[in-house]
Formats: sequence, structure tokens, C-alpha cells
Amino acid sequence: MEKKNFNLRTVIPTATIVISLLFIVVGMKDYGFWKGQPTPGFFPIIIAVVLLASSIACFIQIARDTKSEAVHYNRNELMVMLGAAGIILCTFVIGLVPSCLIYILLWLKFVEHASWKVIIIIELIMAAIILGVFTFWLQIRFPMGMLLEMIL
Amino acid sequence: MENFASLLAGFQVALAPENIGVCLLGAVLGLVVGAMPGIGSLAGCALLLPLTYKFNPTTAIIMLGALYYANMYGGSFSAILLNIPGDSPAITTALDGYPMARKGRPGQALMTANLASFIGGTIGILILTLTASGLATIGLMFGYAEMTIILLIAMTSISWLIGENPIKGIVITMLGILVASIGMDTLSGAPRYEFGNMYLLGGIPFTPFIIGCVGFAQVIKLINEREADEKKRSSEDSKQKLSIKDSMLTGHDFKRMLPPTLRSGTIGTFVGVLPGSGATTGSMVGYAIQKKFKSEEPMGTGAIEGIASSEAANNAAAAGAFAPLLALGIPGSGTGAVLLGGLMMWGLNPGPLLFDTNPEFCWGLISSMYVANIFTLLVAILVIPFLIKILSVPVKYMIPIITCVCIVGAFSTSNSMYGVIVMFVSGIVGYLLDKNGFPTAPMLLAFVLAPMLEENMRKAFIASRGSLAIFTDSPLKLVLLAVFLVLVLTPTVKAIRKKMGAGKKTRV
Repeated sequence: MEKKNFNLRTVIPTATIVISLLFIVVGMKDYGFWKGQPTPGFFPIIIAVVLLASSIACFIQIARDTKSEAVHYNRNELMVMLGAAGIILCTFVIGLVPSCLIYILLWLKFVEHASWKVIIIIELIMAAIILGVFTFWLQIRFPMGMLLEMIL
Repeated sequence: MENFASLLAGFQVALAPENIGVCLLGAVLGLVVGAMPGIGSLAGCALLLPLTYKFNPTTAIIMLGALYYANMYGGSFSAILLNIPGDSPAITTALDGYPMARKGRPGQALMTANLASFIGGTIGILILTLTASGLATIGLMFGYAEMTIILLIAMTSISWLIGENPIKGIVITMLGILVASIGMDTLSGAPRYEFGNMYLLGGIPFTPFIIGCVGFAQVIKLINEREADEKKRSSEDSKQKLSIKDSMLTGHDFKRMLPPTLRSGTIGTFVGVLPGSGATTGSMVGYAIQKKFKSEEPMGTGAIEGIASSEAANNAAAAGAFAPLLALGIPGSGTGAVLLGGLMMWGLNPGPLLFDTNPEFCWGLISSMYVANIFTLLVAILVIPFLIKILSVPVKYMIPIITCVCIVGAFSTSNSMYGVIVMFVSGIVGYLLDKNGFPTAPMLLAFVLAPMLEENMRKAFIASRGSLAIFTDSPLKLVLLAVFLVLVLTPTVKAIRKKMGAGKKTRV
């Protein structure tokens, strides 16, 4: 028997069906629809119903469509996401600015195999932008992280 | 006449030293961001939004306006020199710009693009000057019901125009509205859909959400363009030398350029005014119309007329898009939505009353567009000898830089890691949506317009005590409703007709 593969492109309409149902159920239960006049749930419930209907139509459309190519995800895309996630996690330990600068260094050296000259130029430009524009001009206090807070 | 008096008053605001400075800064940044392939005006405005927090609303929006405007100029640089459009409105510019550069006239192609952008933009700003306050006066006649229908038209038309699939357009628009409804109820201020999370109580912060959906999602996509970018850069085209002197147009070139520029400038402005269209549609319409006219060389083979029509139309459309944005509070495009969000963030309420309550802001902005147009032209011409150097920054180096700018920008606008997490999550969602053919611009527009739509819709129902007749009780409402229904039903009817046509063919 031929085994049918799960169509990855139906993930989005499936997710929006779940989201719309969540908004309808929570809206009806907690915020109501109409009590002499529209209640806080009125507008989101209407929108969620339209989203539900259009998502079902979209799901059927995608499931029936056998001509379009499958969506391919690759490792590089995941690496960009992991890189950003790494900065967020490291921020809690070593602070935001050092995390960003270390990330740039690691990315350029090990992913792009850039020369040290390029890395130093980019690091200096980024440090100037973050510290000059954001810290000194816009006066943003970036998180220091546990380590720096312990030291300082 | 009254408009020109207001415009002169506006110049007093636009010509303040601080505003001239940010206008120039916006022009330079816009040109650079526009020229960098793969970023685009939407991501450019979103990424640079945090920089404007230091300014007062007028100065901030002048900078963003100049940036948006200069982006239209910058997009053509890489389109002409590398055949990589810096932004989607420059796609049609590449059709003739790149062949013209290959014919040994890259400087003239750039100069044509610059001059056409300037003239087209000037036409757009002039029409904006003449019509914006009039449009606002018409807007004053609109009640809650009319505004509800207009907002629905704005939301649906963008999802119709962007992308080939209207159902996906509706899904994404509705999703944007639902995301915007998290936090506080617009009328009662009661908490809503916060799911017990204290961060969600404040809603989804606008700037980190936009930076994520547009900026970070773009970085994830950029990683796949590294190899193609490297190949293009190693070709002969990227090793040309340019000078201003060699880029000058002859009298004959100018004569060829002028008629399509004037025509596309006027058409582009009106396309830009339409909700949901914007610069990309403008340049495509301008280019398509030019094809119906005679040009000295065939279009698509390096015709000056092709570059002029595309560039004049996209700059004019960018200017024209400010008319509904300022007068009705309805952005014409994704970038317009970012500008509208910025206005709201600074406490301004775009809409018919804005010209009455903040005339110095409205006219200051319009006047600044004239200044920005001149600055951008000057910078765009002066930058010609350095363009090859600017465009030689490879995409692969931009990936970690933009990632860090997204994170730092998201933090600085929310002063909390919550903003960074919102940026990160919305970036991944934006990337997944884009990868699956769901355009994100309608979601941004819906996110920005949702509070206005809800407020007007609920007030209309309160006024009518729940009767739907409030949406049909005047000829104006019926006309607006008809426009809305046409927009909603056209793609469905088209799809049915297409199916029926296919069915007939198979039977034959």
C-alpha cells in the first residue's frame, strides 16, 4: 500500500485553525459576544470565525494541490535562528552587547570563514553602532547579565 | 491657494536645522539600505525605527519619510549594476537598467533613474500638496460605519494585490487582527486574551513585532541568497568604474526620458493613493503603460524609457501613498503601515482630524518631502562614483550584522527582553509564513489598523443598537460596500471562471 507523506504546507492553515478555535472558545467563555452592546469578545470572535472559515478553505486548497513543490527547509536557516536564540540565552549570563559581539565573531569566523581583517572591521563598526548610537545617544541600558552584575 | 500658504508654513518646520539634519540622514540611510540587495524599504524602515525614538514626532516621521523616499532611489542602484533589485519596486527598473549597463552605459542608466525618480517624486508631492487636505475634509464626513467599510477595503485590497492567493491573504489579514487584539480591549480597557501572562497584558509591542516579521525573517531568508550573491559579485559587471562626468545624459537622452517620466509620475501618484497598492504596483503599472507607447529601443533591451517609467512611477506612488495615510489614517502598503504605527506610537492620530489638530506636523512633513527629494537627488548623484564600493558588501556579512541590529533594536524599543523574544518569535513566524507563500505585509497592515477597525465597528453597532442597517443607510455607504464586495468577490469569480474554462478545454 502506498504511504502518503504528510503535506508540510498544511502546517500553517492547521495552526491558524487551532488559533481561531482558541480565540472563539476563550472569547465566548471569558469575554462574551453581546450584552446589550458589543462586549470585549465581540470583535475578536467575528475575526476568529472568518479566520476559521478561511483557514479550512486554505487547508482544503493546499491538500488538494498536488502540482506545487514541497517546501524545503535547510540547515542554514536553522543556524540563523539558533544564532539569535544563542544571543538571547547568553544575554542572561554575559549581557546583551558582549553576546552580540561574540556572536558576530563566531559567525564570521566559523560559518562564513571571513578573514580576521574583515572580522575586526565589522566588530568595530558594530561596537560603534551599539555603544555610540544606542548606549550613548539613545541612552539605552542594555542588560549586563549575571556574570557582569556579579563582577561590577 | 490655502494649501500653498500652509505649505509655506510647513517649510518653516521642515527647514529647522534639526529637521534638515534628519532629512539628510534619512536620505543617506535610505539610499544605502535601498541599494543593499535583500533588505528593502519595509525592513529598512522597521530596522531604523528605534533610531527615531530620540526625536519629537515631527522630526521622527520626517526622517522615516525621507528614508522611505530615498529607498525608492536606492533600490534602482543594485538593479541597474548587479541585476539584483534592492527592493521590489525596482524589479521593473532592472528589466531595462541592467541591459543598458551591459551596453556600456551604466552611468547614464543610473542618472536616468535618479532624474526620473526626482521628477516623478516631485509630481507625486505636488499632487499630495493639492489633494491631501481636501481628502481629509472628505474624511471628516465619514462616520463610524463609513470608516469601518473603508478600513475593511484597505485591509482586503492589500491582501488581494500582494500574492496570488486571496484565501491566504484573508488568513494572514485575520491573523494580524487577532494578534493585535491581545492585551487590552480598545473601548473598555479590560484585559483580553492575555492568558494569565503579565507581559501579554500590555499587548504585542508594535516595533519588535515589525522588526521580527520583516527584519529578522528577511535575515533568515538572506542566508539562501549568499551563493547567488557571490556569483553575481564575481562577474565582470561588478568591476566597472563610474564617474559623475561620464554619467551625464545627452540632450537626446533627456528628451527620451521626459515624456514617460511625466506620464508615469502622474499615473504612479494615483496608484499610490489607492489603498493596498504602493510603490511596487506603481512601478509595474507605469512600466506596463509605457509598453503601449513608442520607445526608441524595444522595452526590455536597455530602453531609457523603461527605466524612466518604472522609477518615476515608484517614487510618485511612494509620495502619493502619504495622502490616504495622513488624511484618512489608511496606509497604502506595508511600509505605510510601519509609518502609521510610528505615528501612533508618538501619540498622533492619523485621520481626517490630523490636518486640523496638527497642521504643523502634516504640512511640515509634506514640505520636508520636497527637501528630502532634493537632498536624495544630490546624494544619489554624488554617490555614483562610490556605488560599486557600497554594493560590494556581500550578503554573507550582512547576516550577523542585521541579526544583531534586530536584537538591539527590539530591546531598545521595549527596554526589556520581552521585546527581543517577541521579535524572535515573530521573525520565525514571518519566515515560516513567507516560505509557505503567505505574504506578511497584509498581516502588518491588519495589525496596525485592527484597533481602529474594532473601535469604529463597535461604535457603529452601539449607535445602531446592533442593526446592520447602519452600513447600508446612505448612498455613500452603499458605494463603499459595493467596492468592498467587488474586491472580495473578484478573485473568487475569477477562480471559478478559470476552472470552468479548464473544464471546457478538457471536454473538447
